[in-house]
Amino acid sequence: MKKLWMFSALVLVLFLTACGSSSETSGEGEDGEWQPDKNIEIVAPAGAGGGWDTTARSVGKVLEEENITEQNVGVVNKEGGGGSVGWSYVDSTNNPHNIFVSSPPLIFVPLNGQSNLSHEDFTPLANMIADYAAFAVAEDAKWENLNELFEDMKEDPSSVTVVGTSAPGSMDHMQFVAIAKEAGVDIQKIKYVSAQDGGGMTQILNGSADVYSTGMAETVEQVRAGKVRVLGITAEERVDGEVIGEFPTAKEQGIDATFVNWRGFFGPGDMTEGQVAYYEEKLKEVSDSEAFAEVRDNYGWDESYMDSEEYSEFLDQQREELGSLMEELGLNQ
Amino acid sequence: MGAMEGLMQGVQVAFSWQGILFVLIGVIAGTLIGMMPGLGPISAIAIMIPITYGMDPSVALVMMAGVYYGAVFGGSTSSILLNAPGISGTVASSFDGYPMAQRGEAGKALAIAAISSFVGGTVSVVLLMLFAPALSQVAVSFGPPQYFALMFLGLTAIASLSDGSTIKALITATIGFMAATIGIDTQTGTTRFTFGNPNLLEGIDFLVIALGLFALAEICFLILKRKDTSLGSQGDIGSLKLSKADFKEMRGPMTRQSFLGFILGVLPGAGATIASFIGYISEKRIAKKPKEFGKGSIKGLAAPETANNAATSGAFVPLLSLGIPGSGTTAVMLGAFLVLGIQPGPLLMADRPDVFWGIIASMYIGNIFLLVLNLPLIPYIAKILKIARPMLISLVAIFSLIGVYAISFSTFDLYLLLIFGVLGYLMRLFSFPAAPFILAFILGGMMEQSLRQSLTASNGDIMALISDPVSISLYIVSILSFVVPLIRNRKNNQHQQEEQNSDAS
Repeated sequence: MKKLWMFSALVLVLFLTACGSSSETSGEGEDGEWQPDKNIEIVAPAGAGGGWDTTARSVGKVLEEENITEQNVGVVNKEGGGGSVGWSYVDSTNNPHNIFVSSPPLIFVPLNGQSNLSHEDFTPLANMIADYAAFAVAEDAKWENLNELFEDMKEDPSSVTVVGTSAPGSMDHMQFVAIAKEAGVDIQKIKYVSAQDGGGMTQILNGSADVYSTGMAETVEQVRAGKVRVLGITAEERVDGEVIGEFPTAKEQGIDATFVNWRGFFGPGDMTEGQVAYYEEKLKEVSDSEAFAEVRDNYGWDESYMDSEEYSEFLDQQREELGSLMEELGLNQ
Repeated sequence: MGAMEGLMQGVQVAFSWQGILFVLIGVIAGTLIGMMPGLGPISAIAIMIPITYGMDPSVALVMMAGVYYGAVFGGSTSSILLNAPGISGTVASSFDGYPMAQRGEAGKALAIAAISSFVGGTVSVVLLMLFAPALSQVAVSFGPPQYFALMFLGLTAIASLSDGSTIKALITATIGFMAATIGIDTQTGTTRFTFGNPNLLEGIDFLVIALGLFALAEICFLILKRKDTSLGSQGDIGSLKLSKADFKEMRGPMTRQSFLGFILGVLPGAGATIASFIGYISEKRIAKKPKEFGKGSIKGLAAPETANNAATSGAFVPLLSLGIPGSGTTAVMLGAFLVLGIQPGPLLMADRPDVFWGIIASMYIGNIFLLVLNLPLIPYIAKILKIARPMLISLVAIFSLIGVYAISFSTFDLYLLLIFGVLGYLMRLFSFPAAPFILAFILGGMMEQSLRQSLTASNGDIMALISDPVSISLYIVSILSFVVPLIRNRKNNQHQQEEQNSDAS
């Protein structure tokens, strides 16, 4: 009977392994045009429910429901390593039908030394949306705007605790650092704690932490209820929206810095021009569709389409800017 | 709009025919998925999300809530029958549920689980309905120092989770702590004990450890002992009927744990797992016969089962009234809300009373459905144990592998599962208890994070940990729960000695 058990376990393992790594090449026409010949798989390099997952699923839904692609579009979650598990999956399967969604962590995680793959190992296909950071405080906090907060932090950085979800050296931390540096705060002395499971909002509501560095959408309900106040957002100019429209930007408060939480799509490293052109076109169609405009409104995202070339340049620039910030913090590996 | 009016609107949603139908669909889907070893509420909710596209949001969410608590309700089945917990909230149910099933009382064990779950679920819904708006204050009342104190209290359970040697329990707990440190340290962003392997960056998933140490270790044990016919009356389901004495046993834990579990569920981050462990140990502490715990005690099964279901309703407080997801499962639930264009938060009750109260009102119906559906099904479900043992063992192995593979579709996790299976078997062979490992693994991560958050915020002042009444009282309870049994044991021993002496004379 032991054999039976071993055998069935083995068969299952083999079966599952086979499912995980199937890869085929696909037909490319002679004129360089490319059509997918099987289902497109969008990899969300994170668990269900997060920003990457939501973007992947909503784009996948529009692609399918608006009949933009002939093939079906599936979303697969490859969670782990702040994205690196999903990235190495796309890299190793090296199949033009597998694309993934990403955002600034694609810059941070390699700089942190947590992934050997960086944006240069992939083909940027198109950027879709822009989201911005918001810095929120409890409604009874003493600061009315970013300048008052940063004045206090310049005087005594240890008097202010900043909370975010991600680890130091990743998004919630770095978006705050980017703005604080411009305001003249000693960024090495910023006190930052990371809290999972909704802990960030809890901590500013009960006074365990002072400032919550997060996305705009996460603050809206609490702002409407008058429990928290947004001191500033990191957009170039104010963003349209019922509540969001009242959030002041850091720029209008005289701090000349922005931080964009961009989200876009990437394919494996060696893609042909035809393949890139195919995705550029389809993603542009999604971006221009009314269905996707509705999705953007729902989540409070900004439209920010960039084609492959523009996106590559933007990413190189991002890496330079953020890389120098992280070097100053000693987080660069 | 008054709360009464909103409540009426909610009741209308819950008692409309769509409301009732979709609660039914939700709880059936939830229990079925929850019963599978390895699949818990997260997978259940994720599987059901696409079905809600285009549905009326209030009805859809009533269904999703049903999937959630249905999965917790059904989750105990695999813990009890197969020692293969599918979610962390039902690990504690296997401590006494599995021995009971082994003893040939599987039917009774499942009935106790179903009834305690029902009571825990229903009492907590009443609490939810009465206090949900007021409790949102409680939900944010815990900062890092208070969480640290709560985890500390949970840890005192280690001593009571060991049958024999406390030293062995402490050793396995230490290994559990060590396992919890694997991955990216969220307070500094550095990687710990990953050996350059990207699969370890997020740490080890709870399910890998639970299924390895419990299910696979049990399988190894059964295979190697297959010729030993003394292994009890396998396949015997026993009677479903609970005697009056049984009910009397259950009454205490059910009452206490409905309240305690609910409160712990309200705290983001604590949730069903911690509620079930604290429920288990608190009942063991106050029980007249604590020695029965771990050997198929009715109280020991009723306590965690009541607590985890009560905590599940409690988790709706921060989710609905603050928009704060307190766990991975409620985060996916929050995703389900957002997909339907509903933003939970402080204004949900005023903006969408139909959704807010609809979900709460539907939970009454859902819990009744769960009880009515589950009780008659128990004899059929328990028949799983009648499957020939070689077949059953292979099935458990296959489900464990599928459950683990479904977490992140990574074969790496399968190897890890096998490693933990071997470790679990060796631990059993040398009688090291597995429960402290799991407990330390669950609590350790949160405990470390809250300690370091507290110390960062206080600029390293350790007094910040004991600067408020809540944490101080939690420490006092911890110390009491540690010292009182010691004194009681000594007294008992003295008593016995005196008796022996008087017998001898």
